[in-house]
Amino acid sequence: MDIELTINGERTRVEAGSAEDLATVLRQHGYIGVKCGCDGGACGASKVFVDGEVRMACGMAAADADGSEIQTVAALGTQDDLHPVQQAFVDNFAVQCGFCIPGMIIQAVALLDSNPDPTEREVREALDDNICRCTGYQKPVEAVLDAAERMQGEQSVAADGGRSVDGPPRRAESTGCCGGGCDE
Amino acid sequence: MSDDDETARADGGTASQSETVEDERFEEHPLEWDEPENNDKAPDERDSVSHRTEKYDDRKLVTGQAKYTADYEERYPDLAYAAVVRSEIPHGRVTDIDTSAAEAMDGVEAVLTPESDAVPDAKYTSAGQSYPEPSPWDMRVLNEHVRYIGDPIAAVAADDRTTASAAVEAIEVSYEEYDYVTDPEDAFGEDAPQLFEGGEVENEIVGHDYDRNRMAHIEGELGDVDAALDGETHVHETEWETIRQSHANVEKHTSLAYTNEDDRHVLITSTQVPNHTRRQLAHLFDIPIRDIRVTKPRVGGGFGGKQAMVVEPIPLALSLATDRPVLYEASREEEFYAMRSRHPMKVKAKTAVTDDGDIEAIDIYALSNTGAYGSHGMTVAGNVGSKPLPLYSKVPNVHFEADIVHTNTPQTGAMRGYGAPQGTLALEGHLDEVARDLGLDPVEFRRRHHMEVGDLDEIAGMMGGEGAERRIRSCGLDECIERGKDAIGYDDLEQPAADHLHRGIGMALSAQGTGVAGDELGAAQIMMNEDGSFHLQVGGVDIGTGADTAFLQIAAEVLGCDEADIVVKSADTDVTPFDYGAYASSTTYISGMAVKKAAEDAKERILDWGSKLLDEPTENLKTGDGTVYSETSGDSVTLEDIGYEAVYGDDEREHILGKGTHCTEESPPPFAAQFADVTVDETTGEFEVHELVVAVDCGVAINPGMAEGQIEGANHMSYEMAVSEGITLDDEGRAEVADFDEYGLPSATETPPIESILVETHEPTGPFGAKSVAEVPTNTVPPALSNAVRDAIGVRVREMPITAEKIKARLDERKD
Ligand code: FES
Ligand code: FES
Repeated sequence: MDIELTINGERTRVEAGSAEDLATVLRQHGYIGVKCGCDGGACGASKVFVDGEVRMACGMAAADADGSEIQTVAALGTQDDLHPVQQAFVDNFAVQCGFCIPGMIIQAVALLDSNPDPTEREVREALDDNICRCTGYQKPVEAVLDAAERMQGEQSVAADGGRSVDGPPRRAESTGCCGGGCDE
Repeated sequence: MSDDDETARADGGTASQSETVEDERFEEHPLEWDEPENNDKAPDERDSVSHRTEKYDDRKLVTGQAKYTADYEERYPDLAYAAVVRSEIPHGRVTDIDTSAAEAMDGVEAVLTPESDAVPDAKYTSAGQSYPEPSPWDMRVLNEHVRYIGDPIAAVAADDRTTASAAVEAIEVSYEEYDYVTDPEDAFGEDAPQLFEGGEVENEIVGHDYDRNRMAHIEGELGDVDAALDGETHVHETEWETIRQSHANVEKHTSLAYTNEDDRHVLITSTQVPNHTRRQLAHLFDIPIRDIRVTKPRVGGGFGGKQAMVVEPIPLALSLATDRPVLYEASREEEFYAMRSRHPMKVKAKTAVTDDGDIEAIDIYALSNTGAYGSHGMTVAGNVGSKPLPLYSKVPNVHFEADIVHTNTPQTGAMRGYGAPQGTLALEGHLDEVARDLGLDPVEFRRRHHMEVGDLDEIAGMMGGEGAERRIRSCGLDECIERGKDAIGYDDLEQPAADHLHRGIGMALSAQGTGVAGDELGAAQIMMNEDGSFHLQVGGVDIGTGADTAFLQIAAEVLGCDEADIVVKSADTDVTPFDYGAYASSTTYISGMAVKKAAEDAKERILDWGSKLLDEPTENLKTGDGTVYSETSGDSVTLEDIGYEAVYGDDEREHILGKGTHCTEESPPPFAAQFADVTVDETTGEFEVHELVVAVDCGVAINPGMAEGQIEGANHMSYEMAVSEGITLDDEGRAEVADFDEYGLPSATETPPIESILVETHEPTGPFGAKSVAEVPTNTVPPALSNAVRDAIGVRVREMPITAEKIKARLDERKD
């Protein structure tokens, strides 16, 4: 069937088999930031935003996403201008093989959107269904806590009308809505 | 050797003669290492190494743009997808494969069985090891004689994944069933069903006895253990058991094969061992090595599971049969039952200790269940002894022995730690118990006996053969213990208020190797571009550990440039020089040293050009900040100018190229001290691990941020080995685990905080003082946690995993 999706801000019509899951369709269209680490719903690698909600794209029929807005990790920031959560993952050495990381970052962005000042426990709870074999979760958890601090810092700086002391704002400006992580 | 020495050996050696022998060893294994100039840099002299440089591929990884094997899908519009028919019985012979229904399906391109032309008949081992391989050639790509539930029988290529899976379902296999055996002790028995006929296996391994399902037997001794055990000492004996642990790499085994426009067979594959894979494929398919190209994109975790040619022959056979590119991505279920796992083992430890607490003898015996095939069987079992035992290198009498047996269970293989986790559990749990029985503080007991700088590790020789002893030139164990104790609060532990709760701390030491002594090779080349940037081609394989970044830091340190001015290409057999692969904790040490040599080779040419351009002798010149500068005159020239002059200048143009190759007899151990803080409920046996602290001496950490990440990840894997069931099997050897939900990988909330501590030492044989880091913290949580429970509540759990039920059972036994 023919379905309409807005993926990372771009409206597209795609062909999807009735049984086809959203992860497969997104990947076929080049959104390779959607990873598949299991055969459905058990690793968190395929997390994306669907209308602002975190969903495991592998566990959702593409047809059910008809008409939705989807954001993959690629919508959050560019390599030159990372989202604060992405930047925090880089700066905290929270990324090893990186296979689980897109899903983790999506989940972390969603957490900080609803809870900008989480405790360590809350971060761990949020990441509980994101499997990472490489890191032992220590650095990803630290990265999310660090990102929370940075984002709060940015907000308060912005309220003063000033600039962040360590350089230009890190948030991507051109990518439009980042799926719940931003306040636009 | 002089005549006098000959005599000394012959008559057994008097005191003075044995001193002569000692001296000789000192010459062969000197303490002072003839270190290349500039290898030992003080922290403030280091420009690039030991900095927290951003990981080379991180920006691509966090934006989801990095490509793993499956992400190449879109490049090949004609791609076909593979799926595999696997044995549903534990042991038997396939009598018929009915493929007609599958072949008739729309979109099915090929169905291969053991009879098919495209399927090689040769025997091989999947183990990706040096050559000749120290694993038996006992496998075929597709099998008629099936030996475990999961053995591959037939393979399908179809236009899409769904059709491929449906075709697999439509294939009917008839079997003649044989008796089977799944318990390693039973397998060893005289009457047990036999997995291999005598003479059936090629490349047989020492001590094999296929009549008794024994794939290998190894043994080594120093001194006389029996005599020591008979002496007037305390003799202790304990037995330990470990789980069948899954690598659980989040990226599944994935491999894409096609034949390119130059008639060369290309494998894009998620592997730790591109060069070994190329050689193994050449052997299997009888294709010249030069016509096979193995390239590794980003790899989503390996941990040893991809130190094996697990899936590659299938897409290659299918692409030969269909003339199309073929992708094979294992399912998550296949990951658990048909890929590889850690060898489950029973390990016995026996010691003789004097009244004063001196250890007179250690005897370790391991029974390893290698499953249906023997990949990495002998070498993993060898490491049960050879990795942990050197921790106590001062012990005069040591014996180690292992039997490696076949059962009709899924295949085992290499896994991070490589036998050391099993051995470390037994040794460190055992010695802890010995100390407690003798009323000694277990930490002080270890401190009294552990290895130190200057020790000659003869145990490495006992296992590795003559000449494999090693001199210990760096050892930070004392500092590891001290800092670990402080971090966990060893000396001021507070007991919980409730009477039924008891808190305890357990510790364990660990040692590993860095590469395989005498059996590794890494090579690299570096070329300078006309703008002063560089291309580094290195055979060393980054599987997510950050190896590429470490290579860049090493090269940048030598060349005096920014890491960002170097492009790294790691592991494509058409482009990068030979490398044994990412295993045995060798990457930074072996491949990194090759990178250093290549950079130094290039630097020599750069300095010559600098000398020409600055008109000063090279002795005055140094590299730094992207320039060549003279400390004498203060003049400098940029690397960009040199790059430009070298290829476009007026005279004697050259392309500046550096090359480096590294192999060594050395394998210096990194060390770790693990601490676990636990509270146990004596009414239920339930326990909570508050914190894991692990202090690691990896020499100089090339990138401390990445090193900590490696340590924490390894410790998490080790924690899993202590508290999870692993892959459990039913009576027929069928894996009871099909997905992550069923496999007990501790999640973010189930994992205690892990504190990693880097203890810096300097290893003179490593690049800028580096040893390895990735494996040593994989070994320590099972013993530390077992020791912590013992400390808290006085009972001992020796069979992993440690569970509330087992603790409760021990507590109940104690009451009776
Ligand atoms: S692939 Fe979607 S959750 Fe694992
Ligand atoms: S970084 Fe490898 S799985 Fe998370």
